[in-house]
Amino acid sequence: MARAAQPTVSRALRRRETVSGYLFMLPSLVFFLGFVVIPMVICIFTSLTDSMMNNTKPVNFVGLANFQKLFQDEKFLEALKNTFIIVVVSVPVTCAFSLWVSSAIYKMNNFFLSAFRCIFYLPVVTGSVAVTVVWKWMYNNYYGVFNYLLGPQGLGVIEKNINWLGDPRFALGCIILILLTTSVGQPIVLYVSALGNVDQSLVEAAKVDGATNFQVFWRVKWPQMMPTTLYILVITTINSFQCFALIQLLTSGGSGTNTVMYYIYYTAFKLTSTAGHFGYANAMGVILAIFIGALSALQFWLAKER
Amino acid sequence: MNKISSTRSKVYQAACLIVIILLALLFLFPLYWIVIGAFKTKQDNYSLNPIWWPKEWTLENWEKLFSRRSAPLFDIIIPFSRLFTKNGKDIVLLSGPVVPGAIRWLINTVFMAVAAMVLTCITAALAGYALAKKRFVGRGIVFSLIVCAMALPKQVILIPLLKEMNVLGLIDNIWAVIFPTVGWPFGVFLMKQFSENIPGEILESAHIDGAGELKTFNTIVFPMVKPGVGALAIFTFINSWNDYFMQLVMLSSNFNYTLPLGIATMQGENSIDTGLLMAGAALAAFPIIIVFLIFQKYFTKGITMGAVKG
Amino acid sequence: MKHTKKILALVLALSMVFTLCAFAQADGVEPAKEITLWTYPIGNWSNEEVVNSLVGDFEAETGIHVTVDYLTYTDGDDRVNTAITAGNAPDLLMEGPDRMVAGWGAQGHMVDLADMFDEKDLEEINPTVMDVVTSDDGSVYLYPLVMTAFCAGINVDAFKEAGADQYVDLENHTWTVDGFKAAVKALYDHFGSTAVAVYCAGQGGDQGTRALVTNFHGGTYTTPEHDGYTWDDPENIQAIEELAEMKGQGLEFDASLVGGDEIALFYQGVLKIALCWSIQQQLDPNLAGTGEGLTMNGEQIAFMNFPSQEGVDPVLNGGIWGFGIFDNGDEARIAAAKQFIQYMCDSEHTAEAVRQANYFGVRSAAADGTVDLSGIWDDNETMKEFNATVVPNMGDYYQISKGWNQARTAWWTMLQKVGEGEDIPTVVAQYCAEANEAAAAG
Repeated sequence: MARAAQPTVSRALRRRETVSGYLFMLPSLVFFLGFVVIPMVICIFTSLTDSMMNNTKPVNFVGLANFQKLFQDEKFLEALKNTFIIVVVSVPVTCAFSLWVSSAIYKMNNFFLSAFRCIFYLPVVTGSVAVTVVWKWMYNNYYGVFNYLLGPQGLGVIEKNINWLGDPRFALGCIILILLTTSVGQPIVLYVSALGNVDQSLVEAAKVDGATNFQVFWRVKWPQMMPTTLYILVITTINSFQCFALIQLLTSGGSGTNTVMYYIYYTAFKLTSTAGHFGYANAMGVILAIFIGALSALQFWLAKER
Repeated sequence: MNKISSTRSKVYQAACLIVIILLALLFLFPLYWIVIGAFKTKQDNYSLNPIWWPKEWTLENWEKLFSRRSAPLFDIIIPFSRLFTKNGKDIVLLSGPVVPGAIRWLINTVFMAVAAMVLTCITAALAGYALAKKRFVGRGIVFSLIVCAMALPKQVILIPLLKEMNVLGLIDNIWAVIFPTVGWPFGVFLMKQFSENIPGEILESAHIDGAGELKTFNTIVFPMVKPGVGALAIFTFINSWNDYFMQLVMLSSNFNYTLPLGIATMQGENSIDTGLLMAGAALAAFPIIIVFLIFQKYFTKGITMGAVKG
Repeated sequence: MKHTKKILALVLALSMVFTLCAFAQADGVEPAKEITLWTYPIGNWSNEEVVNSLVGDFEAETGIHVTVDYLTYTDGDDRVNTAITAGNAPDLLMEGPDRMVAGWGAQGHMVDLADMFDEKDLEEINPTVMDVVTSDDGSVYLYPLVMTAFCAGINVDAFKEAGADQYVDLENHTWTVDGFKAAVKALYDHFGSTAVAVYCAGQGGDQGTRALVTNFHGGTYTTPEHDGYTWDDPENIQAIEELAEMKGQGLEFDASLVGGDEIALFYQGVLKIALCWSIQQQLDPNLAGTGEGLTMNGEQIAFMNFPSQEGVDPVLNGGIWGFGIFDNGDEARIAAAKQFIQYMCDSEHTAEAVRQANYFGVRSAAADGTVDLSGIWDDNETMKEFNATVVPNMGDYYQISKGWNQARTAWWTMLQKVGEGEDIPTVVAQYCAEANEAAAAG
């Protein structure tokens, strides 16, 4: 009898769980659907049309024409390449850098540990806009501090001032450097705690077996920190897509620092011949979203594999 | 042999320490420069060779910052009311006394960050718990949506969002910046990770005891995820405070500006007046740095406790 | 026949009734009590105190409150476009024809102001200016207030110190191309740093780089009909090649600067020559309020024509500024905005509005000839000198050419490529073609 009743109970339970689950989700879903999902859906729709800012003309469905045009747009391809470079460079470097700093400071006493943690977190807290005010000066071609320190008055490494933000050889690197300072904060906090939580008995055992420090790290500590690393990968990836302010305020997308994020804004709102081509701008958004979706999926697949 | 390797490792450690101290200085430098720049005289700020320590301190920049643009200290308006008024303007219930624009910006920014923080914490704690502990239909789909949307930069949905805000009558209103921040699903993801740690047996026994869903959440779930909520609160506060992009596209009247937006605009207007810019940057950075320093213990504790699960 | 007459009479009568209704409606609109004005930085029209007093007087007289917001050239365009998208465009905008006539006006976002000009106005306003602000179809999207010719500027003290003052004629404010080259060399030899920057981080202040290039060998920028771009003509290519040759010896193509940054550096005494100079800057360098014609360190600044070949008059780019109205679909607000324009541009208050812009007025008289505006700057020696030596060289106002916005982008992108050392004839042809493509598309 009990056996026969099982499916009904479970179905009732399931229904109850579903109702209460969605009720708990409701407040969050209102905002998430309203201000992320619905705009995204509209974005996808608009990307298939020739929608313009000037709404006096009728909107036509143009199929994939915008996407076709995008892949012939050199500027867009460059922006896509730069976005890719930023992610591919800044994510691993941030992870490696924060791991290195954490391993150097996690054994310190409490005072120094929290002092360092705070210092490396400060640029995040200070915010991109306030930080850019200073970096813009530091990179300045004529009186910036980098040119001063490297130039004849300082170390004398360079003969002529380097136009950091105006030279395509350096500009993107400069942006990435600022991005790094504004993203290592949280990874360091996380790695410090992860390193502190490593099972010491395993470390001791490995040392007794004659393992070198390096081997201890790779064979014992690293696997134990894998969940932390994956989580850090996720947040760093998110962070590296948030470089709009840096690019808008420092280079306006010039000197080879255009990114898709900036180019969307540029296409939509700067006064160029493509100004107000919303269909076109939204098509870029869709491509970027696909790129990001794939990246996230990959990361979570990796996490699951573990 | 052992001795050599231990000295070598000591040398390595010392070298590491030195490099890290240098790096720490590099990280501190922008902040240091903002602070002293805000008190430097014009001559010192314009000097072609950097002036590491001001020869003369001045409050000139602050006076200038607080003499630009005036605005009411606050405006209490009825949100969405412009959809119903004849002239398309919101109904203003009460306006504060006239103050310098920068003070109004500060008020706007604090209001925005606090509202975003409170709303995010409440919605994310509820949703995170549901995602972690409720086996409801469509859970997988909702969660994958959240994961995919987490890294999505707001530029992608910029144009639809602007139009949506226009329809809602929220353009040039601080709520237009707050709502998308609350909608950003990272908080839900974070709270889900925290909620995974709640043992299922406790919830079950509460259920058997006849506790209702909300009571269970209030008395059992919330206390257990509290550190997480604390971390999320600070995290959201910082993020919202510094979310320059949304502020840039949503706010257009000077008195509705936030501090980051105000400084960015000043940078375009007075690209030369470094002292003024530094004073503005200091005003934007310091309140939030102080908040962070006060709560950083909870933050580090919260963020490390449950976010990362094997 | 009789029948037809009857019908005709009826039609006439009806149409008269309709027109009367239309008139009645137009006149019957009660102007709104609150409007918004966004201004780009045009002289003191970017100074809050001055603008508050101007709009305060306006409010006292009309009861219309004007909320003012200040745009920058860095992100002003984006903000206006964002606002248009969000249905939040200001009622009034203060800028030039390049943005308002060729840009937002042509795109249909602005109100046609043609009905604000009667015959008397057309007599009073400079006909060239009127021609520029009038579109092909006769609509006028900008009510002009002030105008100028864009010039260059030099740091006289630095020139003297480096012995470069021999290459400039400070009395007539002219110099030759050879003089320019020699001066840059002398400045570089003496100070060892960049003396002049061909800024190209964006479109801001690009009138300066355009004028430098076109005057070098007397090239032209657009066709006389304003329907295409000619900056790839041999004269301009030669000019760009010669400028590129000067790279590293006092002249740099700087992709980290726009015009605003350049004048800031000039004001700081870093750069010795400014290409983005104007009489507004001369009167109040960098809007810093630190004295007329002086750099931050107190060095003397002189405005200059752009260098041209020996015996050839320079051709300067003009600037025109005025007000336009965004069509927000609200007759009451449009009526109030028109009242504002009338007040600032065609009344006894116009002299003050012009003076505060630090430029020259576009009309000789206002308010149906009752107010004489010819002597606004009679008390100012600098303005008089500028009017005598620079203004006569003002050339064609070509910034309303077809595809102008794309042409601007193509221009600075091209300069960046030149600065990066790419082959000059190729990149010039490539980007000029891009601009012409936009012009052909309308």
